[in-house]
Amino acid sequence: MKADTASEPSPLAATGLTRTYRGGKGVFDITLKLAAGEVMGLMGPNGSGKTTLLHMLATAATPTAGQVRWFGNTNPRDPSVRRRLGVMLDQPAHFDKMTGYQNAWFFAHQFGLSDQLARDRLDELFRWSGLWDAREQLVGEYSLGMKRKLNLLEALVHRPSILLLDEPTLALDYRAELDLIERLQLLSLTGTAVVLATNDVHLAERLCDHVIFLHDGRLIREGHVPELLTEVAGSKEVQLQVTSPIALESLRALPAVQAANVEGDTVHIILARGANPAQVLAVLNGTADMVSNMRVRRPNLGDVFLKLTGVALPAVDR
Amino acid sequence: MLPGTIWQRELVEFAQRRRALVIKLAFPLVFGIPLVIAAPPLYAAVTLTMLIAIIGALGAGAVLSRERLSGLTLRYRTLPVTPGRLLIERLSTSAVIDLMQVMPVLLFVALRHPSEFAWWPALVLSTAAVLLIGNLMGAVASTLSDSPGEVMLYVFIPLLPLLYLSGVFTPLTQPALLVVSRLLPFSYLHESLLGALGGQPNLLPWETMLGGFGFLVGAAGLTGRLGRRVLESD
Repeated sequence: MKADTASEPSPLAATGLTRTYRGGKGVFDITLKLAAGEVMGLMGPNGSGKTTLLHMLATAATPTAGQVRWFGNTNPRDPSVRRRLGVMLDQPAHFDKMTGYQNAWFFAHQFGLSDQLARDRLDELFRWSGLWDAREQLVGEYSLGMKRKLNLLEALVHRPSILLLDEPTLALDYRAELDLIERLQLLSLTGTAVVLATNDVHLAERLCDHVIFLHDGRLIREGHVPELLTEVAGSKEVQLQVTSPIALESLRALPAVQAANVEGDTVHIILARGANPAQVLAVLNGTADMVSNMRVRRPNLGDVFLKLTGVALPAVDR
Repeated sequence: MLPGTIWQRELVEFAQRRRALVIKLAFPLVFGIPLVIAAPPLYAAVTLTMLIAIIGALGAGAVLSRERLSGLTLRYRTLPVTPGRLLIERLSTSAVIDLMQVMPVLLFVALRHPSEFAWWPALVLSTAAVLLIGNLMGAVASTLSDSPGEVMLYVFIPLLPLLYLSGVFTPLTQPALLVVSRLLPFSYLHESLLGALGGQPNLLPWETMLGGFGFLVGAAGLTGRLGRRVLESD
């Protein structure tokens, strides 16, 4: 974790943060702290509470219990707090009957930017994001990826001290994803604290200093990325694409199998250090024709999560 | 035009919805002109009061429920603007747009009955008050359901009894009901329309003007207070 500056309290700190919904779902008792320039990843499967937590950190939702401090200020409605936040929510909501540039101009001015400053920064961001040619197009005609890029540049335009981004690479092409990673790395170096809610393990490993794993609304593990990866160091992940269900229990009974789970038509298996993937195929003897594809790869943060919970993180289209 | 403020954004979006713009401006004229020309003042006043109340309430309800569904309301919560200020700017702009929509009909009333000019200030003020209150009713109704259709229902459920209690449908004779009608903004609009159309209202122009002004100020205050309730309810 990067150190706080002496002059200012931590950009973001939450204690006992809880938000409950009817039916018992929600986020429960989350405590976290973010230093200036730190990039924190919130990871967990769908419904684990990432978005709810991000909404509370972004002042978009009120906690049922607990407290968030933004630079020491606990009032989420204080405009001075919100002016320092750059938020990209899960839904890229815009005014569809206005152009991309009109939308961005409106949001830039809400954060107090002058006409000249807004124009300079928006021109640069529209070019950077590849939306320059579409700036006069109505947002209603934008694709999902374009809307998310617009959302991203609106979150960046006022140069916030804290960036809160929900699945920022979703629907972005590879080039745009690389540009985003580069930009976020630069912002982090200049002191911007970043919170990313993501299931993109590659993005998290590349960008995050610190990761929080959420499961059923609870924080189940947190730590620095290298430290978390050591938990699965030397092990392997075997991915089997199957055409019909296979008996997971017989796989889990193998001493070499640390965790096994199914996601769609793919079985994810974490093998202990030194284990041979052929052992898996041996268990499937006689049913191996059900396996249409097999892949062995080095473990990542998704495997740490799988090992902790037995649940696989959803795959991200890349 | 590049919108830098909430009211500018409302105007830009309104101006860029060309088909809606034409329908919005033509609709009151289609109803209003035949009524003002041919109907007895009482019936014309009843219909125009209902029309103005509905225009205010339905517009805001539909727009805000659509914004809630699209996630825009959630985005508003992250802006460095207080919910009260945001709602006042939004609803007052929406009410001004609604006023522009009904203004041609009001002008037509004035042209047809120029001798009733004493009622014009009261008519404009009470129309503005009813439009702002209608917008506020729609905004509150939009928090009750995710479905725009249901939101319309929640607007109509209180609106029709309130119009009745305002003495719009039948003249009220019981003293208690008369007192109740004076506590509702629709009665002042109805009275001012009756007066401007050459009918026989129960109030004097200055009384109606005072009522309209009071409700306009009250509605603005209430809008500010309800900002958090409307924009932060899930």
